[in-house]
Amino acid sequence: MLDDEMLSTHLQELRRGTVVLACLLILRKPNYGYALLHLLERSGFTVDANTLYPLLRRLEKQGLLTSDWNTDESRPRKFYRTSDLGEELARTLSRDWDELHAAFRTLKDEP
Amino acid sequence: MTTSTPTLTDRYIEATLRRVPSRQRPDIERELRTSIADAVDDRLEAGATPAEAEVAVLTDLGEPARLAAGYADRPLHLIGPGFYVEYTKLLRVLLVTVVPAAAAGVGLARVLLRRDASAVVGDAVGAGFTAALHVVFWTTVLFTLVERARSPRPPTRRWTPDALPEPVSRRTRYAELIAETVAMVVFTSFILISPVLRFQTDGDGHAIGLLDPWLWDSGLIYAFLGLLVVSLGLSFAKYYVNPSIPLAIGRAAVELATGLTLIWLAVNDHILNPAFVAAAGWSAGATRWTTGIIIVICIGSLVSAVVNGLRDYRQR
Repeated sequence: MLDDEMLSTHLQELRRGTVVLACLLILRKPNYGYALLHLLERSGFTVDANTLYPLLRRLEKQGLLTSDWNTDESRPRKFYRTSDLGEELARTLSRDWDELHAAFRTLKDEP
Repeated sequence: MTTSTPTLTDRYIEATLRRVPSRQRPDIERELRTSIADAVDDRLEAGATPAEAEVAVLTDLGEPARLAAGYADRPLHLIGPGFYVEYTKLLRVLLVTVVPAAAAGVGLARVLLRRDASAVVGDAVGAGFTAALHVVFWTTVLFTLVERARSPRPPTRRWTPDALPEPVSRRTRYAELIAETVAMVVFTSFILISPVLRFQTDGDGHAIGLLDPWLWDSGLIYAFLGLLVVSLGLSFAKYYVNPSIPLAIGRAAVELATGLTLIWLAVNDHILNPAFVAAAGWSAGATRWTTGIIIVICIGSLVSAVVNGLRDYRQR
């Protein structure tokens, strides 16, 4: 029987970093923080708002995302978009993920 | 749009912004306000009351300090894994050098000032304690600052297997065993013949023993020497027999018993022979002096017995 706390720690360790890749992929189409939170959730990535908002700014600071303020609507919204550099990172991370996936396959097929 | 009484959201944003660099504040505030408002709207649509919605959204966002640390990219720990090993290493080196040096220095200064034993011991222990406090505090402050210093990170020395501690060779341990035996024989012989050594003599020319005759009358001196012999025996056992828990416990117990016996004797003034002190013309402070020194040495050896015991236990 798996201990709940142990399970959640291991899941967290395994998923750490996947949110970054998911953001870079989703933000190929510009979007703002709160909407992104929902999109991620709907795609199966659970992330807390208080993790996501600072993460977006960190990625922007690293040049992986660009941002623009949209003030057309009643509330000003900061739209983020994956930059060329972010695109490059997304490709590299995706490739790595695929390789890991293939590696796990091999491990599971050959006992 | 701010009203005269700040809402929960206003207070939340204010608490968060206070902890982020000022040039980021306007941007973060605009974004955070919109995000909170969007989330509140969603909950209102789901049928919550405005007050409920606001509380729920802010609860989800969690403590402002945590959120702000995320925005400011600040670590939520004092000293992280990158520096922890260096930190403990430096701390250990400083503690084992600075603290005894401070205690010894102050103790020596008090001795030179001819203060009595209790003052010497008290001031030395106090100085050691203060030094330890300063060492721990300032080292921690230093590493906390280094942890928070932005790039460039100081390159930590690459660890290589060359840095492994030298194994204590069997030869070295054998030499230690021989030294312990010799010291033991000399010490025991000295104690046993001390009543007849003629350092001081009374009017009839009889020797006055250095140690309290009460030790012989009560037979305690033999019990004490017995403990020393057992302790030496266990040292031999440790050298020749494989380490085991009963042996480790036995050694620790004997060392404890020896130390406590000596402390008890010292506290009850049963070490020096009062007649000898009088005959030698020593000041009254001499007895207290001896007592203090013996107690300090005993406490030191008790601590080292516990530390060694724990180390042996961990290495198993």
